[in-house]
Amino acid sequence: MWAFLTKDLLLFWRDRKEVAVIILLPIVLVVLLSLVVPGMFGEETSESYDLDLALVVEDQQDQGFERFQEEVEPSNDQSQQMIDQLQAMPPVDGLVAYLNSPELAEWVTVNQMDLDQAQTQVDEGELDAALIIPEHYTYQLLNEMVLDEPSEATLQFQASGQSQEVDMLRQMIQRYLDQINLQYAVASSGSQVDSANDNLPEGGVENVEGQSMFSMEHYFTFSMAALFTLFLAATVATRTGIEKREQTFNRIALTNAPPLYYLMGKTISTFILAWLQMMFVLVGAHLILGVFTEEGPTFWVGLIVMATLYALAIAAISSIMTSTMLRVKNNDTGDGIFMAVVMVLGVIGGNFVPINVLPNWLQQIGELTPNGLILATLTEWVQDQTYSLLVMPTVILVAIIVTALSIGIAVYPKRGEQS
Amino acid sequence: MLETVQLSKQFKGKTVVDEVDLYLDQGESVGLLGPNGAGKSTTISMISSLLKPTSGDVTLNQQSIIKNPAELRAVLGVVPQDIALYQELSAYENLKFFGRIYGVPKQQLESRIQETLEIVGIKERQQGLIKTFSGGMKRRVNIATALLHNPKILILDEPTVGIDPQSRHYILEMVRQLNQQGTTVLYTSHYMGEVEQLCDRVYIMDHGQVIAKGTKAELLSILSNEDTINVQLDRIDDEFLSSARAIDGVRKVEVSGNSIHIIAKQERQIVSQLVKISDQFDVQIKNFQMETPSLENVFLHLTGRTLRD
Ligand SMILES: Nc1ncnc2c1ncn2[C@@H]1O[C@H](COP(=O)(O)OP(=O)(O)O)[C@@H](O)[C@H]1O
Ligand SMILES: [Mg+2]
Repeated sequence: MWAFLTKDLLLFWRDRKEVAVIILLPIVLVVLLSLVVPGMFGEETSESYDLDLALVVEDQQDQGFERFQEEVEPSNDQSQQMIDQLQAMPPVDGLVAYLNSPELAEWVTVNQMDLDQAQTQVDEGELDAALIIPEHYTYQLLNEMVLDEPSEATLQFQASGQSQEVDMLRQMIQRYLDQINLQYAVASSGSQVDSANDNLPEGGVENVEGQSMFSMEHYFTFSMAALFTLFLAATVATRTGIEKREQTFNRIALTNAPPLYYLMGKTISTFILAWLQMMFVLVGAHLILGVFTEEGPTFWVGLIVMATLYALAIAAISSIMTSTMLRVKNNDTGDGIFMAVVMVLGVIGGNFVPINVLPNWLQQIGELTPNGLILATLTEWVQDQTYSLLVMPTVILVAIIVTALSIGIAVYPKRGEQS
Repeated sequence: MLETVQLSKQFKGKTVVDEVDLYLDQGESVGLLGPNGAGKSTTISMISSLLKPTSGDVTLNQQSIIKNPAELRAVLGVVPQDIALYQELSAYENLKFFGRIYGVPKQQLESRIQETLEIVGIKERQQGLIKTFSGGMKRRVNIATALLHNPKILILDEPTVGIDPQSRHYILEMVRQLNQQGTTVLYTSHYMGEVEQLCDRVYIMDHGQVIAKGTKAELLSILSNEDTINVQLDRIDDEFLSSARAIDGVRKVEVSGNSIHIIAKQERQIVSQLVKISDQFDVQIKNFQMETPSLENVFLHLTGRTLRD
């Protein structure tokens, strides 16, 4: 069997230009697509400078002032003067006015609504962000500013996804509050904008569920990696066709070498190439585009394990193609069938366009194709490194490997049966 | 030692090999002669256990090899009609791969490769890729590959098709030497000359059937009371042809181009008759030749066609 494997690898090596193109094409495409098509896919927020902000005012400004006046006897004239000034230009009113000011109106649309509505719409991605001014905010703010007492006066800012614009808006609100503080010469404490997602990594992409975000670079990386290994399988079968046409396969059949060694040599060499191809895409996308810069060792372990299983599944599928190629009368028929199979798998697996544009029933079938499965699995894995996520895909991939190999062996022509 | 019994093959109902009986004795050199499409390659595929016969049997030392080909494969070298080599690999790499899967022991592999390269005379070019080789050199590697495991029986399927005279001569000489050193040879060709030169016994195949067999002398004796006359004319005239066919003793008249081949009983009068009718129909004889009988004539005699039709 070693003889067959080294022969196949040597043949690939002789053809290294063509093989290099096949292996490196996906990473090239990933880079190109990431440069050319930003914003065509994924977050609507990055489509244009047009932010939809929910404004939730739970604070009752007037009551806050009244309550503060009732409870607090102004200790001196200075404090009373400050209260008067604040009442003349209340901070929350000022903030709302600021949000509607020409500076922001260009690219921020403010929709005032209640808390539930805001959260639902942000969750569903209809709105980009929500600014929540909590109950008693004015009251607490007054305590803090006038009496210099610590309080919990914080604004809450929630975003459905991170984008440049959302971040800009957050910073501008922060700057506005800082200005108020400066104006009243009060320490800046207490008037922070509290991002709802403080638990997330610094500067990290974020959404409300508290997961890393799945970007289009990730999609391109995973889908191209999955798709082009399929093409590789078809390429191997084409090469089998050449061995059939040039009669070297017959010559092999004239020896006493166990027939399946031929198939195993093909399958193992396919695995090696498919694995290399996966690694080139994944590592290449990481090094060139930095798609996985925030991921730790856990992520890489899972990624490599799944990529390896996928490469095995592809090799097993290529064994069916190899055996079929040896049986069909005409090589072109074989090539045609395999290309069609690859295209269909590619489409329903979501490697050409994201799977969610397909009808539901097709999506479900799509996730059973190895390429659809690996795409879906890695998509989840990049957002959430929970090992249990990998159990089902592993089971399915192993099932695919075993089934495909069995079919490949069963279809492999017995002596005197090849065309 | 190797024998076929009523060997037949049909492809989609079309009989391509029809109840062929042939045998090879140890040390013999046997020719299988026939025009293109006669069924020679198909017969060889069945003998070499590549193709299952529709009916009939192939035996090695009285043991059928159809179910258990391993023993035959170990002692059989097959040189296929097409160049069955990896074009992208060098001659050496091809030999190494096939040597390994033929089960040549590791310690002997290197020396066997060099020996066979020596036999076929391309030792100096062994690192060259097959695709860069000339037709003749490819044929030589094609043969070398079949010799690696030191086969007792060597089957060659038209090993000299489409190559230069020098390579052709080399190959014929090489096969003769292998045979002299004890290798049993089955040599397939549609060239009479090669088979005449090389083989002790000959089978002549046409349309899937063996139409004649025997030693060269036996086959030629079929022609013992016949002459073959080639006549080149300035033009072909229908009346001349029908008169020629009507000459007493003429069995067949074949036309090719401006020439006619006449097969006739050995009687002197035919020539004078020919001269007479050529005068009569104003046809000029440009060249006249009595042929020494060859296997080509045997084939013509048996089928009414030449081998290269
Ligand atoms: N696999 C096949 N399927 C159908 N017909 C075939 C096949 N192989 C050979 N034939 C036919 O069988 C006949 C004999 O072919 P072949 O054995 O190659 O003749 P030869 O070697 O004497 O030239 C030809 O007419 C050829 O077309
Ligand atoms: Mg032939």
